[in-house]
Parts: sequence; structure tokens; C-alpha cells
Amino acid sequence: MSTASPVVTANRSAPLTPRRRWWPTPKLIIIIAVAGAIGYLALVPLYYLLWGTFFDASGFTLGGFATAYGDSRIGSLIGNSLWFAAGSAVLSLVVGTSLAYLNVRTDVPFKALFFAASIIPLIIPGILYTISWIFLASPDIGLINKALEPVFGPAAVDIFTIWGMIWVEGLHLSPIVFLLMVAAFRSMDPSLEESALMCGASRLQVFRKITVPLTRPAIVAAVLVMAVRSLESFEVPALLGLQNGIYVFTSRIYFVLRSYPPDLAAAGALALGLLVLAVLGVAISNLVGRAGKSFQTVTGKGFRPRPMELGKWRPVMGAAIVCYFLLTVAAPLVVLLYTSLLKFYQAPSMAALRSMSLDNYVELLGLSQAATALRNSLFLGVATATLVMAVMAIAAWITVRSRIPGRQLIDQFAFVPLVIPGLVLGLALSFVYLRSPIPIYGTIFILLIAYVTRYMPYGMRYSVTSMQQIATELEESAQVSGASWWQTFRRVLLPLLAPGLLAGWIYILVVSFRELSSSILLYSPGNEVLSILIFEQYENGQFTVLAALGVVMVLTLVVLVTVAYKLGAKVGLREN
Amino acid sequence: MKRVALAGLALTVAATGCGSSPTASTSAGGASGPTAAEKLYAEIGPLSGQARRDKLVELAEKEGTLDLYTSMTSDVATVVTDAFADTYDVEINLYRAGSETVLQRILQERGAGYQGNDMVETNANELFALNKEGLLGTYAGERRDLVPEAGRFDGWTATRFNLFAPSWNTTLVPAGQQPKTWEELADPKWDGKLSMELADYDWYLTLYTYWQQQGKSAADIDKIFADMANGAKIVKGHTVQGELLSAGQFSVVASNYSYIVQRAKTKGAPVDYLPFVEPIVARPNGFGLMKSARHPAAALLFADWMLQEGQKLLVDEGLTPAIVEGDDPLKQLKIIPIDVKTLVEKGPEWSQRYEKVVAGGEVLSE
Repeated sequence: MSTASPVVTANRSAPLTPRRRWWPTPKLIIIIAVAGAIGYLALVPLYYLLWGTFFDASGFTLGGFATAYGDSRIGSLIGNSLWFAAGSAVLSLVVGTSLAYLNVRTDVPFKALFFAASIIPLIIPGILYTISWIFLASPDIGLINKALEPVFGPAAVDIFTIWGMIWVEGLHLSPIVFLLMVAAFRSMDPSLEESALMCGASRLQVFRKITVPLTRPAIVAAVLVMAVRSLESFEVPALLGLQNGIYVFTSRIYFVLRSYPPDLAAAGALALGLLVLAVLGVAISNLVGRAGKSFQTVTGKGFRPRPMELGKWRPVMGAAIVCYFLLTVAAPLVVLLYTSLLKFYQAPSMAALRSMSLDNYVELLGLSQAATALRNSLFLGVATATLVMAVMAIAAWITVRSRIPGRQLIDQFAFVPLVIPGLVLGLALSFVYLRSPIPIYGTIFILLIAYVTRYMPYGMRYSVTSMQQIATELEESAQVSGASWWQTFRRVLLPLLAPGLLAGWIYILVVSFRELSSSILLYSPGNEVLSILIFEQYENGQFTVLAALGVVMVLTLVVLVTVAYKLGAKVGLREN
Repeated sequence: MKRVALAGLALTVAATGCGSSPTASTSAGGASGPTAAEKLYAEIGPLSGQARRDKLVELAEKEGTLDLYTSMTSDVATVVTDAFADTYDVEINLYRAGSETVLQRILQERGAGYQGNDMVETNANELFALNKEGLLGTYAGERRDLVPEAGRFDGWTATRFNLFAPSWNTTLVPAGQQPKTWEELADPKWDGKLSMELADYDWYLTLYTYWQQQGKSAADIDKIFADMANGAKIVKGHTVQGELLSAGQFSVVASNYSYIVQRAKTKGAPVDYLPFVEPIVARPNGFGLMKSARHPAAALLFADWMLQEGQKLLVDEGLTPAIVEGDDPLKQLKIIPIDVKTLVEKGPEWSQRYEKVVAGGEVLSE
């Protein structure tokens, strides 16, 4: 490993030796603090959820399960959900992984487009992304259908089908996979692939037999997060599925939570179903990741990731990238930009072009809370991303490296918030902090706590995946050379983890700009965030202003993420 | 690490009140006699005219602040609160969210004895629920007496009505072809062209009860709704529905709010809801004064002002005010208010029935 060499500090630990045996070392303090924080953050909402599920005013009850699962259509609901989740997970996995591989490991052209292709679908709020797709691919008004009509006849593509839902959700989720896999590929020694090529394997064989198995922890993590995410997703099924009566599991959560009093028991029963799946998933992922040294691709041997030459495939891949970019990023973004210049959405025509103006952007400037909201969202995004990645880097060490009994629990706890509906999280936090002696309720810090809790699972997946790729021998040699645990962590592990941590950081920064379901309950006057502004414009029926806000958000975050990448290039393993 | 986990659990339990269920509804109200705010409401109640206003302004400006929770859309809320703050030296702290969230927040705060708001402005269902929890004080005065009976409830008073009416895309539905009765929406000619909203069970309940009173049998009514839902495009959210109607994704929307369509129409979108299909289904939205208010005079002043000066502002924003002074554009029309009591007491049942209707499944009959 050439970039981070352990610093020899054998003599520095000498003055510390006379301390008493039970004195807690910094290592112990840090580990306990991290484990305690994760346990606390996960258990508060979980405890609330369990109470709500199993207890009502009269005591123990299983009524929630009856309401949640007792529907006569539950079979088809679960069927639709699983089909939708599996489809989206596979699509995002294939798209995200291929893009990541091409970007990191080959000399494919148009690499700059990847950056946009990987981040922009993540930034566009789900509701806008989905509606852009309705404008593009609805059988009635879709622009793509209009364009294809002379060749394929009317309504060539239909977004209001399960395939349409998978398409939109899969593309919207693919950035998570992309970021995860980029980190994995960056940390992989290409010499293994090169030797396979030397031995006469075809590129496909190399990919299948060498590359995929080596990045299995990352792939498993991606599938896990994707599957749970799409099982929970409601925006896409609500806007695309309902039109043709395709109902999914989560539409039940929507119904039970919007009634009064909200049926927490049923919502909890549904969330617990997801929790069981998630716990199994995390256990499997750890089993796969723990299988010895097989995935440790960052070893003591130095390597320089060298891009693979695509040869005659280069133009083909280049064309594919451009097509992908046009279809998934440019098209929805252009629809958004176009809508943001109109008074109301209408199909492109001379009349529509003539009515274009910047009025919506002017209106946006006139919103009194816009500046406050942007500032708050920036603060929360950066603080959440930094806190989560810092804590999860250590948590990942505990789970992957340490021999502490019960370490698996940390991983499981860190994953719990993924299955807790945002509203339930909001209720749990307001319940606790309304009673806390520390005045957190009504300040921006309750939002910070909510965000850190919500995004902990992603941070954990990014960190664990990276940690599993780093060989123990590097730490061992640092320790042999006399470095303390903290020195080893800071000087050896952190730089090696940097690509994964940066990817996680970017992901959390971007998605925290969109968090609504718990923010809306927990914010207070003066602490508005951007997502609340979006929600308000949406409720006002100001679609065109909403589109303008979406465009502004994309621009802001693209600038932010670019800065992060540039800074990130100075640390860790970036080669370009 | 297990120990750490257990410690975390213990901490959680301690924080949540030693194991008492955090989700069970807490009995509110307080048995210790009327609060300071309630006393003030009772004291001001009999006053009227300028004397009342002067007294309230004096007290409210001394309080200096009004904490208001509302589900009014932000464009309307901004206009209203800005106008109020311009007139009086009272700063408004505005919390805005969907009506269900507003309710949740107040109940949570109440359970912890936290005085978050002085006043709440939201939908009928939520106000009814808040009153049932005993959280709302009594508002009396001449302005309230002007509100029609369908807008005066125990604990709360309507400021405006949301009107449910069919709307259509004027490009796709030529003049004269638009639906003229609710029943017409069941016509097969709208199959694939009609849109219904996922959660409009308040509209469903009201129309259902109205038809029953008109002598239609349950089976007939079920059939009308089933025929409507058959081939209907189900959409979640009135806003999206309005936008997609403008864009031509469907020709007719069964139950959108008239003001959403009016706004699109004002901007020039090819949509309309006039002439109204009768009976118009009206859902009251209003305010309640909190018993636990820290700024009760400010709350009272805002209430009076909303029912007087505020009404004009609501009209300017395209909403339907509770008090109509002068010419009433809806005078000749049949309007039926939503049965709020049934809605709250049998809400889940009707919600499930409506869910079955829009799912196109079999319809439960009574």
C-alpha cells in the first residue's frame, strides 16, 4: 500500500504504560460511545414501534397484524410488492454496477457524464422524477409516445404498468448502487483480472468469475438496501401503479397511518414484517462478507488501478453511455426545466414556447423562507453526512474486525431505522424529546437526530462494505510497528476507507435534502428545510414553481458534490 | 456489546416514563378547573363591536406573539398572516403541515404538557378529534354567529369551505359534453377518462348518505360508485390530479377541490368546473382556540379578524369563505356539508369501504 504508510511510534506509548489495568483506554471509550449511540438511536423508534404494535389501551394485542395482513387482497399486494422490489433491485443493480465498472475500470469515453448520470436521479425529488416520467411515457400524453407514434403506432410505451414502475424506481435507486460499487471497484487490485486475461479468459468470463465474486460484499449490501427500499417505496406505486389498480404492500401503511387515531399497530405490524426480512438480510450479508479473507482486495501489496482497454468495444460502450444519459438523466431533467418555464404544463407547441418565462424562478426568490430553508438544509445535510460516516466507520470496524461478543448486534441495530416509517420515527422522537430535560424539541437538533437515525443504515452499509475489502495485515503491521489503535485507525484505515466513506457521505448529503416524512412533524418555525418548501409548493398546486425548485436543487447539489469529489480526490485512493 | 445494548434499552425505557405505553392516547384536558386562557375566552365572549376589538388588540399586543399551527396551504397562509402582522403588533409563529400531521403534533405535545400553540387552523376531521380530546376552548362572539350552522361546531368554527366538484379538461371535453350530475360519472363513456382520488372517503360518505336520503337503495348507490370506479384512473393527491387534468392525462376528475381547478383556470390551463354539478359537497375548515394557549388574547384577536377582514382575503385567494356578506355567488346552488360526526366516529369503516370502491373490488353493502 503506497498511499498510507503506518508511522512508527513505538516510543510514544511508553509514558502511558504505568496506568492501572482497569483504566479505560481511548479505544474502549470510543467503542462504547459508538455502540451506545447506535443502540440508543435505533432503540428509541424501535421501542416506540413495538409498543405501538403490541399494546393498546387495554393491554397486549395482536390486532395490528389482523388489520395489516388480514386483507383479502394481501396475497396480490405482497406479490406485487415483491415483484416490484425484486425488479427494481435487479435493474438498479445491473445499471449501477455496469456504470461503476465502466467508469472505474475501463477507458470508456464520456466519463464526465457518469458523474451527472450517477447523482442527478438521486437529487431530483421522487415525486418530480415520477411525474417527469408520466409526461414522457404516459400512453395518453407521453412525449416519447408522441415521438414513436409514426413508427410504432400509438402508446408504444406505457409507464402505468409494473414494468414502468420498475423502470422509474430502478433508475431512481441506481445511484446508491453506483456509489457503492465505485468504492468497491476502486479498492480492488486489478492484477487479479489481468492475470485471468493473460490466461486466456474472455472479458465476460473475467467479469463473471473474478470481478463479481470479489465485490460480493458490496453487491449483497446493494441488493439488501435496494430490496428494502423498494418494498417501502410509495411514491412510484402511488403515482404509477394506482392508475391501473396495481396496489402494493405499502399502500396499506399509507392508509393505516393517515386515519385518526393513526393505526400504529397495523403500521408497526407491517414494518415488523420488513424488519424480519432486513435482519435476515444483514445476517446473510455478514455471513457472505465474513467468509475469511476472500474479499480483502486491499492488501499490503501495492497496486495501481489501471483502466482496462475496451478496444473495439470502446465506441459501442460510449454510445451506450450517451443513450443511457439521455434517457435517464437528460430527458427527465429537460422535462423539469421545460415545465419550470411554463405557467402550467402543456405539451410542447408554439403557444407553449411563447408563454415561457422565468416567473416561477422569480416567485421562488420571493418565498420568504427560501433562504432559511436552504441554509438549514445545507447545515443538516453536511452535519448528518459527516456524523453518520464518522460514527459508522468505527461501527464498521467493530462489526467486521473486532472480536467483541455481540458485535453483530451493532450491525443489526444500525439497520433497524431503514424499516421504520418516517412518521413513526418522527412520533417516537417527539415523544422522547418532549419529555427530555435537555431542550432539543423545537430546535434544529431534533431534525439532526432524526436524519442521523434515518441515514445510519446507509452509512453502515457503505462503511462495512469498504471495511470488508481491507486486509487485516495492514492494521497488523501498523500495530506491530507500535501504533496505537487510534493511530492505526486514523492513519491506516481511514485513508483506505476513504472512497467508501466519501461515497456514503455524498449519498447521505443528497438524500437528506429530500427527507420529508419525519421533518414535517418535527420542524418548528424558523427551522424549515427545503423538503418542506417542496411539500408546500406541491400542496399549493404550484407544479411549475416546484419544477423550478427542483432545477435549483439539482444545480446546488451538483456544485456541492463536485466540490466534495475534488476534495475527496486529495485523500484516499482516487486515481483520477 | 450486549450490555451496552441493554443499557441503551434501559435508557430508552427511563426516558419514556418507566414503561408506560408511549403510544396509548393520553387523557387530556386536565381536571383542575378552567385554565387562564379559558377564563379569558369566557370574559371576552359576551363583548362585541369596537369595544371587544380594542380590548383584544391591547391584550394581544401585550402578549406580542401568536403560535399558530395550520394546514392552510402556504400561499394562503402567507397572505393571511402577513396581513394580520401588518395590522397589529403581534408576531405570528407559523407551523404548517398536512392536517393529519398537525393533529399528531398537537396530541404529542399535549401528552407531554408542552404548550406549543395557541390556536389551530385545519380540516374538520382533525378539529373534531381535537375537540373530542377536550383540548379546545369555547369561542363565542357576533362573528361566530354569522357563520352558517354547517360551520359552527363545539370547540371550533369554520372559516372557509372546500368544495368538491367534478372538473374537466375543456380541450378533451367540448362545451356541453361535461358531466351535469354526479350520477353521470358512472357512464361507461368516461371509462379510462375519469380520475378518482385515492382517499376522498369524506366525499364518498357524504354523497352516499345524501343519495340514501333521496331514497336511493344501498345497492343502487353501490352500483353507481362501482361504475364510476370501473375503468377510473386512481390518483393520490388532489394537486397531482389537477396538474394531470391540465396536461390531458384524463378528461374528467370526480372530486377535486374547486379552488385547485380555479387556480389552474386562472393561469390559462384548459380546465373548468363551472357550471357546478349539484349538490356541491362542502367540507368545512376552521379554527379552534387551545385551552392551553399561552397567548389567548392574540388567538382571540386572530379568530375575530379571520372571520371579518380575513374572509375577504380568502375570497381573493379563490377560496369559499364561511361568512358571505353581500352577494353570494353560491346562493342558488345546493350545497351539502360533510357529516363530520359520522366521518370521525365511523371514519375507518368508511375509509375501508371507499378503499374497496377505488380498488374496483366488491363493494360492501350495509
